Amino acid sequence: MSEHHITPLKTYLIIAASLLFLSGVTVWVSYIDLGSFNIVLAMFVATVKASLVAFFFMHLLWDDKKNLTMFLMSLMFFGIFVTITMLDTGFRGDLGLNPETKDPINKRAAFYDTLPLTDTHGHPVDEHSDEHHEDKDHH
Amino acid sequence: MSENTKQNYLNHPKGIMSWLLTLDHKRIGLMYLFSGILFFFLGGLLALVMRFELAAPGNDIISNEVYNNAYTLHGAIMIFLFIIPAIPGALGNILLPLMVGAKDVAFPRLNLASFYIYSFGALFAMYTIINGGVDTGWTFYTPYSTQSTSNVVPMTLGIFIIGFSSILTGLNFIATVHKMRIPGLTWYKLPLFVWALYGTSLVQITATPVLAITMVLLMLERFLGIGIFDPALGGDPVLYQHFFWFYSHPAVYIMILPAFGIISEIIPVHSRKKIWGYKFIAYSTLSIAFIGFLVWGHHMFTSGQSVFSQIVFSFITYFVGIPTGVKIFSWILTMYKGQVSFTPPMFYALAFLFLFTIGGLTGIFLGAVALDIHLHDTYFVVAHFHYVMQGGTIVAFLGGLHHWWPKSFGVMYNQTIANIAALGVFIGFNGTFFPQFLLGLRGMPRRYATYDEQFVELHSYSTFWSGILGISIFIAVMNLFWSFIKKNKVDPGSNPWGGMTLEWTHTSSPPHPHNFEEEPVLQHGPYDYDKVIVEKTYKK
Repeated sequence: MSEHHITPLKTYLIIAASLLFLSGVTVWVSYIDLGSFNIVLAMFVATVKASLVAFFFMHLLWDDKKNLTMFLMSLMFFGIFVTITMLDTGFRGDLGLNPETKDPINKRAAFYDTLPLTDTHGHPVDEHSDEHHEDKDHH
Repeated sequence: MSENTKQNYLNHPKGIMSWLLTLDHKRIGLMYLFSGILFFFLGGLLALVMRFELAAPGNDIISNEVYNNAYTLHGAIMIFLFIIPAIPGALGNILLPLMVGAKDVAFPRLNLASFYIYSFGALFAMYTIINGGVDTGWTFYTPYSTQSTSNVVPMTLGIFIIGFSSILTGLNFIATVHKMRIPGLTWYKLPLFVWALYGTSLVQITATPVLAITMVLLMLERFLGIGIFDPALGGDPVLYQHFFWFYSHPAVYIMILPAFGIISEIIPVHSRKKIWGYKFIAYSTLSIAFIGFLVWGHHMFTSGQSVFSQIVFSFITYFVGIPTGVKIFSWILTMYKGQVSFTPPMFYALAFLFLFTIGGLTGIFLGAVALDIHLHDTYFVVAHFHYVMQGGTIVAFLGGLHHWWPKSFGVMYNQTIANIAALGVFIGFNGTFFPQFLLGLRGMPRRYATYDEQFVELHSYSTFWSGILGISIFIAVMNLFWSFIKKNKVDPGSNPWGGMTLEWTHTSSPPHPHNFEEEPVLQHGPYDYDKVIVEKTYKK
């Protein structure tokens, strides 16, 4: 990479227009309920936009390929982190003992305090009957 | 001897400011070295306090609260203030430019900035100690760390800041290896210590930002109540462990890879034999660095993560054994039929081979999910990672210090005392930590200030030998410093071990302020003992 690459103005304008268009896409898809796929789509569009900026505005495409390698590596490591972490969160409680406690963390949170309290087997528990509970244990 | 050769980086230029504002990588390396040794002693002192508390059951010396602080600070200081910065910061800084034939690292000012960022972060850690400590354990697991009233904030802030120092040093070393090599010094002619530093630096710049992100998320939760890790706010505490270990497992390789590099230098030089399997060692460094990113979940087998990911993590964990085994066998084959001389650096290298192998193999035990569920959070784990971190990294660091001491300072220590101290370290270390494997197998949990009567015997053995270990390390380091007082100077042109890398063949001891009086011309590879005869020269 001895000489400096000069990008024609037209390219910049096309990229700028694509970025604006993709911003529109982000807003548009947010109105469509795709469930958990919404976040995947939003992240995908954002990644495409960031890549356009890096490749064209920041000249990564014409730069030393080592820098491109670094950029791709960072995406790869991010991918590794998210994918493997989701092997956990996506399959949490996969021993499948009980559908009620399959996501114990979120279902027990005060933040989602809408479900009735249950014991580990999914039977409803009365919050105010501690003594009763102890009796049960003794038998 | 001309006036010019009397000038070296230690005596030119003079004055305190010339040290504090120095851009010379060797001086910055020394500042890292001395601050590292200071923190090593502080961390070691805390370890001894804990060991003596554990000599007998009950609270004899310190209370439970003080014990909680002691083990947290011992871990945090040893890892974040000593091991991670010390080897790349000290030996790496001093040696990398010399080994590639450069005048300095690629960005000398950034290098000095890294040191001051490290010092600034260390101040926060010191503040934590003065202000009453922190009791969460060095891992700062949520939800306790978001609720603890101890100094979680200054300590994590300190670690956050020190992380940037690591990133900048890594960046600097990568640029130096890519851009500052002398002509002819191709990748496969680089000393293996350079490869090791390169691998370490890659891990530093890719993993450390995640630590910073984790610490920021922890603070966001603590101060703004955003639910990320705390289940009461809708967060997921296991997610914290994913974040934490995504950094901290690769950090294990930040700690051990430079040690591998040191051993790859010591063994061929002190065996006077070409290293066996150069490319295998070089590539195993890179593959360890990469695989290190895929195995973090093996720290979390009892955290409640999904069984599916436990199987995946357990499976991938075994792959780390392959490149590590490649290295161990290459080192052993390098010694085979070599002229092995039992010098202090070689003693440490041999100790490393034994201790690290035990540490690595017990890691295989812990990588098996079924066994780990039994051994998790017991002394077996404590013994395992001390065999890797102390038996591996610190023993290699001591070996490296002894190897490059005459090069760095132009003085030679008493080799007999150094050998005795090395033996003391080896025996004391095994005496301290081997009983802990047995303790762990019998169910002794880690992080407890007291224990059941049945563990008394093994605990008191461990405490006794920890005293021997502490004294031996103290003697080893004092013996090195004593060489300054004794002024047992080596000849500036000497090559006491007969090394073949540029720092031994092309510059004086201690090196010239600009490293080389003229740009070195490469005459042979770093371990060409089969082609060239290099004399061991100590004094004129």
